Amino acid sequence: MSESKGNKGPVNHGPTLIIHGGAGNLRRELFELEQEYREALKNSLFAGHQILKNGGSSLDAVVEAVCVMEDSPLFNAGKGSVFTLGGKNELEASIMIGTPDHQAGAATLLYTVKNPIKLAKEILLDPQVPHVFLGAQWAEEYAKEKGLELVDPKYFWTERRWKQHMDGLEQRELQPQNIIATTKTSAAESNILSDKEVGSMGTVGAVAVDKDGIIAVATSTGGMNNKKDGRIGDTPMLAAGTWADNETCGVSGTGYGECFIRYAIVHDVAARVKYLGENISDAAEQVVKENKKVGGLAGVIVLDKYGNVAMSKNCDLMFRGYIRVSDERWISPVRSGPSPKDL
Amino acid sequence: MVSVSCIAAIVDFLDKKLSSRTKINKKMKFIDETKSVQNPINHGPTLVIHGGAGVMIRKNYPLKEKREYLKALEESLIAGYKILLDGGSSIDAVEAAVRIMEDCPLFNAGKGSVFSISGKNELEASIMIGTPLHPAGANTLLRTVKNPITLAKTILLDPECRHVFLGGSEAEKYAKDKGLEIVDPGYFWTEKRWRQHMEGLERQKLTSDSPNSLLLKDEFDASPKGTVGAVAVDKYGIIASATSTGTEGPLYRFSLCSSAHYGGLNNKKDGRIGDTPLIGCGTWADNETCGVSGTGDGEFFIRFGIVQDVAARVKYLGENVADAAINAVEEMRKVGGEGGVIAVDKYGNVAMPYNSLGMYRGYIRVSDGIPHTFIFNDE
Repeated sequence: MSESKGNKGPVNHGPTLIIHGGAGNLRRELFELEQEYREALKNSLFAGHQILKNGGSSLDAVVEAVCVMEDSPLFNAGKGSVFTLGGKNELEASIMIGTPDHQAGAATLLYTVKNPIKLAKEILLDPQVPHVFLGAQWAEEYAKEKGLELVDPKYFWTERRWKQHMDGLEQRELQPQNIIATTKTSAAESNILSDKEVGSMGTVGAVAVDKDGIIAVATSTGGMNNKKDGRIGDTPMLAAGTWADNETCGVSGTGYGECFIRYAIVHDVAARVKYLGENISDAAEQVVKENKKVGGLAGVIVLDKYGNVAMSKNCDLMFRGYIRVSDERWISPVRSGPSPKDL
Repeated sequence: MVSVSCIAAIVDFLDKKLSSRTKINKKMKFIDETKSVQNPINHGPTLVIHGGAGVMIRKNYPLKEKREYLKALEESLIAGYKILLDGGSSIDAVEAAVRIMEDCPLFNAGKGSVFSISGKNELEASIMIGTPLHPAGANTLLRTVKNPITLAKTILLDPECRHVFLGGSEAEKYAKDKGLEIVDPGYFWTEKRWRQHMEGLERQKLTSDSPNSLLLKDEFDASPKGTVGAVAVDKYGIIASATSTGTEGPLYRFSLCSSAHYGGLNNKKDGRIGDTPLIGCGTWADNETCGVSGTGDGEFFIRFGIVQDVAARVKYLGENVADAAINAVEEMRKVGGEGGVIAVDKYGNVAMPYNSLGMYRGYIRVSDGIPHTFIFNDE
């Protein structure tokens, strides 16, 4: 599904911001929280919109938008992140801008950084750090050096996610590990992810283009419910979860992370635009459709330098929305598919 | 088979196309490439490896060192070749080839890895198979795992591990649980690399006031940005790719604003994750397009998704693997990134382009069993 067809013609919508708050399959709980989600998405859009409206950069806009979702306990990023198997919150994020040098920053295996996306941005901007990707305690030390807010790991805890963690553990005891884990070897079995895991894939992300035509992309997450401690997902990986290139598009992904890695999904969307000349909607639809065939669960948001937007998914639901400086109505379809009574 | 005169004509044409500053080894890219998919020649099981790209100038290369490197490359090729010869799988072949280079102190992987700013060895690796489900395994921030590539393969094959990428102490714990060989961090230490580390720190102190000053680079640089890697196709037509490294060594950069090539040493921060364990950036395998492993300025491989770009060019532009690899490496050069890739398609066509002054590399085919190894630009 997409809200507008991308095209290479002269129509320039101007500064635009598009966000997502996670993709997954329907669960009753999400209907109960629908209003809260809409409110949070709106706040996130408005935060980024403020920056763009005042002539600010797309980089700052996506950081602000993502911070709102990291600070909100609803999303699986920052506060409200899911737990690892070992009962910890392990966070990660990445950010990229579409200028010819493709500057980027990413961090993973974080326990005490309140806003991982801010750390990613520091890494991107810091001329003293030629690296793109930092991990674990060294990333946290760097965050501290840079004066970013550090918190006690308990800060990220929410009751809802703890419950999902415990329920997930219970389900694991009932279901042998290897049924869940054969996603690598059999497409048929790959859809058997426990409902608790599928539903909580709430990576958040934002893509924006500013008045200078520069695209920025930011993605942040707590990962997957009951992931193995030490697991790094697609979110901090360029080409897998985050991609920005002014000449093609900016893309942020959410869904089953391992699939994003194995198929370099967001880079593939941009490659189709670059090499096949597809518009962003078609590119996104194709990639996401092909991904479903191999058992993936994916949602992507895409934006090009003209402010065309596209949002494609191969599951029931993706929290998403977009806003333009030229027109302050915010568009946020939350879901398509069956209504609560069908669940 | 492509005739000699045809090759000459193609070289001529490309000479005019490519700028004279391009350091790509023109001869190498025509290793048995087939131009189109009509009647593609199938060369059978093939293995190609690299041991790092960097600044290597033949006239300053001591003969003894050169022989050591060529011998090690050959050993790596033979190890993988034996597996393919016996009808073994490409994943086992690439693992075997990479293990040889990890265990060899000459390469910047496993033993012999370069040091981070604080004097530590941090290792990482990834591996991938080109079957439709693209199984993959990767790990990073390792201190005590003797063979990171074996850990990557273990992650890939483990039915109880549904993840692709593990890092840090948890990855090491997992390696131990799986019975992999764990060593003391001191195992990876070599005198040569320690000396380079100390010299690097010295140089950093000298240049910290004027980071853009032109420095004379070591002309004999036995410390390439030396990720090691291997890509193979087996008798089933299945491609596997593997890449492994210690942290990155001295960084030489092109400035984007001018063509000044200045030497400068930057803090190689602890905790830095490079392109090597990143699927799409350092390692890629897809039977329908190609398998690719990269080496060079890791940050460029990350920011430009280089190895997946090679495959995307094959898939969407219909380029053959050689052209796709050359073009991707050339694109990287234009934005200031130095390095190279090795690539193989399911017909056993091989490409080994690079834009630095040299790259340790080689290939071998089961059809004739002859190991071909190279270091420099003029081979």
